[in-house]
Amino acid sequence: MIQHLLDGILVGSILSLGAAGLTMVMHILKFANFSHAELLSIGAYVALVFDKIFKVTMPLMANEIGSLSMTWALILSIIVSMVFTGASAVVFDRLIFRRIRAKGEELSMVFASFGLALIVRNLIGLIFGLSTKLYSKDIVFATVLSRDPLLVVKLDQLAAFSITLVLMVVIHIVLSRTTFGYSLRAVGENPELAQVNGINLEKTIISVWIIGGGLAAVAGVFYGLTNQINPMIGRDLVLPVFAATIVGGIGSVYGALLGGVIVGLASNLALSILPSGYSPSVPFIIILAVLLFRPNGLFGEARA
Amino acid sequence: MKKESGRFTLKLGAAICLTLFASNSISYACTTKVGAVLPTSVDWGRPIAETAQFVVEQVNESGGVLGCNVEMILRDTQVDPKVGVDAAKALVDLDGVQLLLGAVSSGVSMPILTSVSVPSNVMQMSCCSSSTAFSKLAEEGQTKGLWYRTFATTGVQAAVGAKVAKDRGFKTVAILYKNDDWGQDLNRLITRDFTALGVKVTSAVAINDGQPSYKAEVANALSGNPDVLYLGLYPNEGTAAVREWLSIGGTQNMIMANSLKSEDFRENVGLKYLGNAFGTDTASPRVASADAFVELYKGHFGKEPSGPGLANSYDATMIALLAMEAAGKGATGDQIAAQVNRVTDAGGTPITADAAGFKAARTILAGGGNVMYQGATGNVRFDKNGDVSAPAVVWKFTEGGTKEIEYLSLTEVDEFIASMN
Amino acid sequence: MIGIISYIVFFTTVASILAIAVLGLNLQWGNTGLFNGGVVAFFGAGAYGTLLLGGKPQPDHIAGFELFYPIALVGGMAVAGILAWVVGILTLRMRHDYLAISTFGVAVAFENLMRNAEWLGGGAKGLRGFERPFRDSLGDGFLYNLIFLVVVLLCLLATYRFLETLVSSPFGRLLRAIREDENAARSLGKSPAKIRLTAFVSGSVIMGLAGGLYGTFYAFVSPQDILPTLTFQIWAMLIVGGAGNNKGAVLGAFLIWAAWTFSGWALSRFAPVEAQLYAGSIQYILIGLVIVTMLLWRPQGLLPERLVVSQSGLR
Repeated sequence: MIQHLLDGILVGSILSLGAAGLTMVMHILKFANFSHAELLSIGAYVALVFDKIFKVTMPLMANEIGSLSMTWALILSIIVSMVFTGASAVVFDRLIFRRIRAKGEELSMVFASFGLALIVRNLIGLIFGLSTKLYSKDIVFATVLSRDPLLVVKLDQLAAFSITLVLMVVIHIVLSRTTFGYSLRAVGENPELAQVNGINLEKTIISVWIIGGGLAAVAGVFYGLTNQINPMIGRDLVLPVFAATIVGGIGSVYGALLGGVIVGLASNLALSILPSGYSPSVPFIIILAVLLFRPNGLFGEARA
Repeated sequence: MKKESGRFTLKLGAAICLTLFASNSISYACTTKVGAVLPTSVDWGRPIAETAQFVVEQVNESGGVLGCNVEMILRDTQVDPKVGVDAAKALVDLDGVQLLLGAVSSGVSMPILTSVSVPSNVMQMSCCSSSTAFSKLAEEGQTKGLWYRTFATTGVQAAVGAKVAKDRGFKTVAILYKNDDWGQDLNRLITRDFTALGVKVTSAVAINDGQPSYKAEVANALSGNPDVLYLGLYPNEGTAAVREWLSIGGTQNMIMANSLKSEDFRENVGLKYLGNAFGTDTASPRVASADAFVELYKGHFGKEPSGPGLANSYDATMIALLAMEAAGKGATGDQIAAQVNRVTDAGGTPITADAAGFKAARTILAGGGNVMYQGATGNVRFDKNGDVSAPAVVWKFTEGGTKEIEYLSLTEVDEFIASMN
Repeated sequence: MIGIISYIVFFTTVASILAIAVLGLNLQWGNTGLFNGGVVAFFGAGAYGTLLLGGKPQPDHIAGFELFYPIALVGGMAVAGILAWVVGILTLRMRHDYLAISTFGVAVAFENLMRNAEWLGGGAKGLRGFERPFRDSLGDGFLYNLIFLVVVLLCLLATYRFLETLVSSPFGRLLRAIREDENAARSLGKSPAKIRLTAFVSGSVIMGLAGGLYGTFYAFVSPQDILPTLTFQIWAMLIVGGAGNNKGAVLGAFLIWAAWTFSGWALSRFAPVEAQLYAGSIQYILIGLVIVTMLLWRPQGLLPERLVVSQSGLR
């Protein structure tokens, strides 16, 4: 049981990173972005490429950090991948979403994101093949915390979790202490009024995409590190990430962070009640429960 | 009466074709089309289609079917039933094929069988559909004898897996199985077999495709502290689940279904953890033709035939074409299907699974004799439902691929299965 | 020749069944602006419902009540309707993305339930044991397919007429009013939530009809029939054909399904063998591009919505 709790939190923190970006996009642009999870996929693959490049060009970087399977090359790759993924998010916006926004067809954006997800997923499959990829083939054995009840934890996951926590603190500071944070909230509340007050709407939107993409990249790499990388990451994570967003309440970054952990926990704990065959349904059940009992999520505000 | 004279003309025609074209296999008087509906756009489906095409090339090399050049029209199913059925329908209606090879997934093969093959009276031969639903359909008489598959029913795989556990002295086992029709069948059968052999199943956990994490599933399997882990998984989720299993301290004693006989899986898990992992598979028999298949395959593709379903696809195509040869010119699907027993007759003249074998079979069949096809998956013999049984092997991963460590002949397999009931 | 006719009959049957589903989606999206990301759940509910109610009893699950076929088909539609009602009542009072996400989720969960619950839908191996109606007297061959096509075309026509009447009725005006400006509609004393729910359930029942016919045609349904691919295909049909226009919806269904099957045929004839391994991925990329391109350059589709100016007084 404690093991399930621990695992749930560790897996959930990855979803949190994905949901934090998604909730901002959904708040400001007001559409359910079905292609957000593809950003995780892009992030994972970009890091895979750069990880290989760094390891070859700078052999020193290929050494593992302590007893983690993470290398300095991978850490560096994460940073490159954040930039790259943030940039692709902006490109997608320029090419597709902004044009549809300009036509005033906001509802069409949802479907455009469906189409975009399809394109990205299959392009990745074409380029990298459909089979499983890994950053490191070594298996990192878990550290046993207790034999009875069995309680184990992988250092990789703890490291990923710590980095996630650091990122969360950074987001918190950005949102609550900077002008950007205020303009973000202002645009979410009322875009027209915000513009009247001198907030550059386009700039805010671009920042949101960059931050969302960057966080998604980190989530994608951690997912690849603790699980595996394949072109279907986006398809497989889209529902859990949406569930985390809805649980937290659309527009609330803190909600998304907590939402991810709740979805992770629930998915793990659900298997003590449900047969494991039903695990893909768990995120949906969570969404239903939230809609029944707290329609605007934990931190969301009611809106018309 | 009319049929008889037709048969005679055909034989004569075949004989003439043979004499005319025996020396020059390039030119043919005619073309015979056969249809193939296979998931060519899926990574593991592609080699299955290539293998079928390879058989067609060899048969053409030997002089074709009834002197006609065989043209295999290959359509992609995309693993989508709608697309597969449409492709099959187009092949039957537009190209007039009397023989369909495929599909791979049972969920695609089944609607093709019920809404194309049976209504249009076309023979359907699948290499790889494993669902028990086909046997039931056949028992109800709804396949009209048009359906065959060379995929040995999951029963063999399960029985041998259970035997490995018993032979190695494992007392408890946890099962991880893929949550699809094959995995669900396998889990049901092997749970029964383990229990029959006195191996306790501590937990049987379904593994769904593409989950964010298999931690909870694997932790559930580990909770009973089993002696051995049974894996009825495909390489993708198998890699993730086994890595997770090992990293939280699960045993390295493993028994794997043939679906994990994959280089990706060996590479990504690591050979050093697979020293005590035993695989099961249906096997090639100890006859020259089986070695010939491996050699032929290596000669043609430059690698070992180690993917899932390759040997099955080879035999499916070869047997179907032999049946076409036996049925004579202009035969309809049911007439072809009726000839399958003539080319897989245990009392017939043994033939090898290559161009020479096909050539030999042609002469024997033309003379009214029966042949025993000795294929890549054994001396294939179908029961009344179109199902096959097969010999089995136990294998292990090695540096260069896999090696066999135990072989069970068809009789041994049958006896072993019977001993459990 | 008979082969070509036989194939055309077959193709038209499948395309018409898909067209019915597209019409259902058009009522939800085209006329009411409701994003249904889980078309396949309602389609699947119709298929499973029909086969369960009309099939023969099976030893290993509850299937098979051997109901008179039309009742089974209506039952399948009702199952789809109930599913839609549950999803709708929970989500339709919220902002529109909740519906998109919940319907997407319900499709995943429905497929998952059918894959696992062997007692209900036969599990991953699918649902068998359904006898196509009048099979004894009509056989299995061309004649059956021809008559079945007539039945499907009648269903398509009936659905089309029903929706056309609905769209030009006061209720249809109400739907568009809500789509365009919900607050204005509310200020006129209308209840948007209730009306949207009606439209959502009606559209899903129509998808259930399509699913029921699909299941009948193949006399089989399995979890593989209800994967998200179908949702994409049906959406692409509507977007290309023209959201809001029922003729466009039907046109889109035929066009996209023809393109989908024809490209498979053309690939098998003309593409180099090496290219076929990538055919699936390329086909998905193409359909994604078609969707996005249409949204960017011709969001109204091939046949745009004709704006009906309400002028009943002039008639």
